Amino acid sequence: MKRGNLWLWSAAVLVYAFLYIPLIIVVLYSFNDSRLNAEWVGFTLFWYKALFNNTEMLLAARNSLVIALCASFCATLLGTMSGLAIHRYKLKVLPVLVFTPVAMPEILLGVSILLFFLQVLNFTLGMVSIIIAHTTFCIGFVAIIVRARLQGMDESIFEAARDLGASPWQTFRLVTLPLIMPAVVAGALMSFTLSIDDFVITFFTKGVGEPILPIQIYTMIKVAVTPEVNAISTLLMLLTLVMIIIAARLESNGSSEGNAKPHTAE
Amino acid sequence: MNSPRLLSFLLVSLLTFSAGCTPQDPDAANSGKNVLHLFNWNNYIAPETVARFEKSCKCDLAQDYYADNEEMLAKLAAGATGYDVIVPTGNALDTLIRQGVLSPLDKSLLPNFRNINPAYLDTAFDPGNIYSVPYAYTLSLLGFNKEKIEQLGLPTDSWAIIFEPRYLEKIRGRVTVLDSQRELMAAALKYLGYSANDTDEKHWQEAAGLIVRAKPYWAAFSNTSYIKELAVGNLWVAHGYSNDMFQAALDAQKTGRKFTISYSTPKEGAVLAVDSMVLHKNGKRPDLAHQFINFMLDGKNSAELTNLIGSGNPNLDALQYIQPEIASNKAIFPDLELIARLEMLRDLDRKQRRLLSRLWTEIKLR
Amino acid sequence: MIKDGTKEKQLARLLVSGPPLLFLIVFFVAPSLIMILTSFRFPGEFGGLAPVTPPSDKAIGEYGFTSDAYQFFFSDFIYTEIFLKSFAVAFGTTLICLILAYPLAVLIARSRKHLRNLMVLLVILPFASNFLIRIYAWMIILGPESALSHFLNTVLGAFGIAPVTLLFSPFAVLVGMVYVHLPFMVLPLYTNLEKHDLSLLDAAQDLGANAWQRFWRVTWPLSLPGVFSGSALVFIPVLGMFAVPDILGGTGDILIGNLIKDQFLGTRDWPFGSALSIMLTMAVLSIAGLTTWFARSATGQRAI
Repeated sequence: MKRGNLWLWSAAVLVYAFLYIPLIIVVLYSFNDSRLNAEWVGFTLFWYKALFNNTEMLLAARNSLVIALCASFCATLLGTMSGLAIHRYKLKVLPVLVFTPVAMPEILLGVSILLFFLQVLNFTLGMVSIIIAHTTFCIGFVAIIVRARLQGMDESIFEAARDLGASPWQTFRLVTLPLIMPAVVAGALMSFTLSIDDFVITFFTKGVGEPILPIQIYTMIKVAVTPEVNAISTLLMLLTLVMIIIAARLESNGSSEGNAKPHTAE
Repeated sequence: MNSPRLLSFLLVSLLTFSAGCTPQDPDAANSGKNVLHLFNWNNYIAPETVARFEKSCKCDLAQDYYADNEEMLAKLAAGATGYDVIVPTGNALDTLIRQGVLSPLDKSLLPNFRNINPAYLDTAFDPGNIYSVPYAYTLSLLGFNKEKIEQLGLPTDSWAIIFEPRYLEKIRGRVTVLDSQRELMAAALKYLGYSANDTDEKHWQEAAGLIVRAKPYWAAFSNTSYIKELAVGNLWVAHGYSNDMFQAALDAQKTGRKFTISYSTPKEGAVLAVDSMVLHKNGKRPDLAHQFINFMLDGKNSAELTNLIGSGNPNLDALQYIQPEIASNKAIFPDLELIARLEMLRDLDRKQRRLLSRLWTEIKLR
Repeated sequence: MIKDGTKEKQLARLLVSGPPLLFLIVFFVAPSLIMILTSFRFPGEFGGLAPVTPPSDKAIGEYGFTSDAYQFFFSDFIYTEIFLKSFAVAFGTTLICLILAYPLAVLIARSRKHLRNLMVLLVILPFASNFLIRIYAWMIILGPESALSHFLNTVLGAFGIAPVTLLFSPFAVLVGMVYVHLPFMVLPLYTNLEKHDLSLLDAAQDLGANAWQRFWRVTWPLSLPGVFSGSALVFIPVLGMFAVPDILGGTGDILIGNLIKDQFLGTRDWPFGSALSIMLTMAVLSIAGLTTWFARSATGQRAI
């Protein structure tokens, strides 16, 4: 068993290295005093300064933030309701509708919403179309997290509340909601992260004239790669790192000792 | 512990929701101010020109950009509205006119219209220039690392250098071509002796065959990166746009390279891309739009772009303001004899577009 | 069983399941139906779609519904070829992800709880960074100026082999796909492996099985459900992906996602783009169906 363990450990270390080295390189080169991402020349904060002077990039960041906040708000609301409904009631249609956008390739959702907005609604693409599209696929993630939490809970609490004469609304407000709150917040944070990072769906549903962060990054990568891309990547990684850690903390804090598995989106 | 946190999260998002979630109506933000909305190519107007226009009209010029005609057409089809002036290339202009989304120009508001060289007026798709006025033009041609190609003894006046294996052998991996269905097919068709607007399927197959045969020798299909690669010396031949070649030549000179970049139009002919200013019928300020167009038709303003990026200029009045090295460059300012060999691309109908798209997929994959 | 609460309960059920249902019907089901419809239309003469009924004045081109787009798909093998290529890339990516993820998942599953949480977090974190960044990172590593390229070409040069470009190649696309999707394989695997009863392995060892036999005849069959869900989570997104080939691939490395994107944002051929999307959806649904079927029959053979 010991030799097997060594083999397992080395394989694991290699995989972790594979996962992290590329990202570390991105971060490192964001401080590199060279236009090329080739070799280390010297330390500089020039690229970060250039980033903050890039008004288009700042506008894109602001737009992405607004979109993420709105989309995660809507998705959390609707996703929590979905998670509750799917867990509580024997529904046939809702689970399919909620989970399919999560499983399908994103391009299909992006393209179909594009067609829908243009053809049926005759709606100009813009921030609102992006928010709606993001909400649609984030609902599933929140629902998964909330439902998993509910599945791990002891049903007798709800029965006790009902026996004591609480109406469904009271049961929800005073018993269910506080208990699932960590999952709800984790779902919100997850949606926020997914929305800020989303590229494919945003690519198809965005309008003209409003820069969005991942699209800006994409344009920079395709047209003129400079370490500014590294700088914005590093900042984004920091942001999502903070979000994920908060989400993970909430999950493990809120759950009882029996089921401490971190809930992840799949 | 959780409730205050949730409450603040809800509050913040609610506030942002109300503040930021309303559709960004470009006019709402600028209501009361004079704003002209221009939808233009990247880097296709000099900043000094913009500043001067804004002062002269006492208005703001709001710009949106696109990198190719397809992108612009797709965005307009996606319902992007509110643009006053757009600057499409010939074949896209063709499409826009046929789609009926342009407003006719009021020539009485454009006294500077007479400055335009008649050789660029009265195109097949806009006879009488009812909707469009030429703004600038480029040629699609070949750029070379002059010394290297001379050393290898290769022809610099024909498309053969990018299509014939006997020449390509010597420059394998040092050539790029434009990543554009229309442009590359046009070059192949011209080389074969056909019109760039030929839509005969047999001729297209011939051209596709030519391209596929030459493809293994090419380094890549590239629309922009060839400028840098030429100027740095990694590429020796590039199929590209005249103003990009101008840039590459300038870059190579400025960085003190031991070689020079030269560019010329192949003798078989090439594509002339004329970009025109048009009025979109959904634009809100046709008055400002006409002011802008007339402003850009003035020789001095028009010359600024040419001096900046080396684009061709159809404005006769502008010639006096253009730097002599640029004005005398035949690849930027073709003489009548060369103009006769140039062609403007027409738009294709949907059956042809589909066929071309399929051929292009095959070209890319084989 | 409480009769007087039934109406309230029904109202509650409506209120909770109603809004999400409504939202998804409008913004998910309807768009999907529209896409199906669009695939049966003609493309507009100059972009967009041709109207269903011809306008009163002149009728250029054709109108109404047609299976033109689908016929166009089958008119040339090249489109089927691209589909097959995408399947091949998806399959390859899934296989590589499985090989890389399995040892890691085993390790995580067998670790103590606190270490386990940390290790899982470490797997998720790269996933948390922007998807484009993860692709961009490989542009740097595989670029012609990078240390890796120089090193590789020096080694190849020593053997007299011509230098290779790592970037803008099928290799780069594969690496990118694996990198982006690896966490999706690790997590379902680990979730499954965690539930294994380790005493089974002890029993096997007592019965004389060596390490390989213990793995192949005990661990592997038990882990099949996890293998299948992880594979589905990798295979399906890879099928539809266009960003990785777009950024890391060469000119010939187009997959079905790139083709679809081109129809909407380039060629303006919405019917063909929709037809391709429908076919992709069919492919995805079949894969999902097959996976579920395999998973069910595999768990039926669970070694007890």
